[in-house]
Amino acid sequence: MKEHIKKNAHQYRLLGLLVILLIVMGILAPGKFLTVKNFKNMGFQMAEFGILAIGMSVVIMTGGINLSIVNSAMLASIVSAMAMRTLYNGGEGMADIPVILIGVAITVVIAIACGMINGFFVAYIGVLPILVTLGTQTVFDGIALNITRGSGVSGFPKLFQKIGAGTLGQIPYTMLIYVVVIVVAYLMIERSRWGISVYMVGGNEKATRFSGINTKKTIMGVYVFSAVLSGLAGILMTSRYNSAKADYGSSYTMQAVAATVLGGTSINGGSGHVLGTVIAVAIIQVISSGFNILKINRNFTDIATGLILVGVLALNHFVNKGSLKKRVRVSVK
Amino acid sequence: MKKVLAMIFVLAMLVSSVAMAETIVVMPKLVGIPYFNASENGVKAAGEELGIDARYVGPTEGDAALQVQMIEDLLVDGIDALAIAPNDPDSVSPALQKCIADDVLVLDWDTTANGDDVTFSVHQIDDKVLGETLIDLLVDQIGEEGEYAIVTGYLTAANLNTWIDAGQAYAAEKYPGLKLVTDPVPSDESQQEAYNQTMALLQAYPDLKGILGYSTPAPIGAAKAVQEKGLNDQVAVVGTSMPNDSSEYLKDGSLDYAVLWDPAQLGKLAVYVAHLTLNGEELEGYEVPGVGPIHVEEDGKTIIMGPPTVWTAENVDNYDF
Repeated sequence: MKEHIKKNAHQYRLLGLLVILLIVMGILAPGKFLTVKNFKNMGFQMAEFGILAIGMSVVIMTGGINLSIVNSAMLASIVSAMAMRTLYNGGEGMADIPVILIGVAITVVIAIACGMINGFFVAYIGVLPILVTLGTQTVFDGIALNITRGSGVSGFPKLFQKIGAGTLGQIPYTMLIYVVVIVVAYLMIERSRWGISVYMVGGNEKATRFSGINTKKTIMGVYVFSAVLSGLAGILMTSRYNSAKADYGSSYTMQAVAATVLGGTSINGGSGHVLGTVIAVAIIQVISSGFNILKINRNFTDIATGLILVGVLALNHFVNKGSLKKRVRVSVK
Repeated sequence: MKKVLAMIFVLAMLVSSVAMAETIVVMPKLVGIPYFNASENGVKAAGEELGIDARYVGPTEGDAALQVQMIEDLLVDGIDALAIAPNDPDSVSPALQKCIADDVLVLDWDTTANGDDVTFSVHQIDDKVLGETLIDLLVDQIGEEGEYAIVTGYLTAANLNTWIDAGQAYAAEKYPGLKLVTDPVPSDESQQEAYNQTMALLQAYPDLKGILGYSTPAPIGAAKAVQEKGLNDQVAVVGTSMPNDSSEYLKDGSLDYAVLWDPAQLGKLAVYVAHLTLNGEELEGYEVPGVGPIHVEEDGKTIIMGPPTVWTAENVDNYDF
């Protein structure tokens, strides 16, 4: 048990921070923050961002980054929204369910295609991930802007809104989807052979390649996995905003990087935990919702999130340095 | 013990009375840009004048997703009215419907939302009046006869085209001596491009007496070209630009009039409309201090703030956006 806590010290620290934030917000906004209504509300909001953040974390674990994650989500959503609109034809075309199923399928397929483009350039051509995804960010965004001329695409079955607005009892569907994604991502990254190769590639790609692992395939897989999650987030967003538009969620890209780093994933790759990212997302959500409820100027939300990020990283640094010193001292003795 | 209980009771009363105060939230597309900073001042001023809790909250980026989240969070807190400038009307629609279901009064301001989502729609300006004002101001500078050209933002921009068309119809009827030398020239909402296009126009039409600039960068770019050519006194420039950008050019005489609306007044008007509606008061004819009387259009929904604000070298320093 002690070993377990020591190994996951960062995650426990984050969990502690989350609990403290919940208590502070509960005191500052009595009768408002710690309510079913607010938690339901946060559940609706957290899923799309959480799924994107996990998609970002997986890539960062390999030492890469996916700056086009939101853009691939929106490009896939826009194409699927256009298809759904045409098929549904204002209620005169196909029935609700087939339209929605086709829409979801199109989103996933296009997202995977976007992921394969990223993966191909990173793994097989060997271009730096930050350059590839910065490029595809502009490309996906450009295509999305071109086919929509910058406006939103809407006009699909009302039932589609249920994905983002419906609840099972008091639990939003989006939250249930998010939980499934967390479990699947956890099993794939931290409990599978493929997951181990992901960490290994992040730690030292050359050594991994020489140890007989097909690192190119691993990297390709990571970008496709990230893209599938981005497509899933795209579906939730299209449903929640009842439309798809090129610039939806544009603020999520860097926030997803922030959540990944706050969650304890090293930006250099080779380490990190899905649950760390999940807790970090919850922390960002609590700050965001809490500040909104307190009607604090949004600038302070960004500042507070930034300060917590810097603070936690600094704390980690000093704690690790401390334990390093201790270790050195022990070995000197 | 009794004393303590009494104190707690009084405190509770105080807290609940604070909570009872009317809360009106005005949400811009984003915070932190001069235009929307200016409207924040108007919102705060209205809150003080009316003695209510008028808040100005918006996302730090023009992202519709953030706006939706902020609306949802505000509902948790409980507000009485929301005036929104939507980044995208469709995307905020489900969130605004949630507001309506929670008995929150919803208005739009600055930018229209979907008609079903709002009780009132507060517009900055009557497009026709703005179009005509620009022509009148041009005539004020060059007289009723002479050649002029139009530099616009994008040829596809609906609002700019409405202003141009309204002005052209008005000019054809009232000032037949005015001659538009060529079709409106696009400048892609870029000051540099407006400068280039104006240089070309000045070259091609040496008798040009005036330039009308539509979109906020166009008049500035045009004024810069006129200034560099040393034609401040020969060629008049009139257009839709913001005071801070225009100041320098208004003062050196290259730009003659800058015309737009005052976002501070617009924010103020949004709060007043929300407040009056919440209290069941009559909107029509209500005198909003510093803005003027409210007039509801025939559709029973649209409220137009009033005539545009005109900036000259003399009054431009009184505004900051």
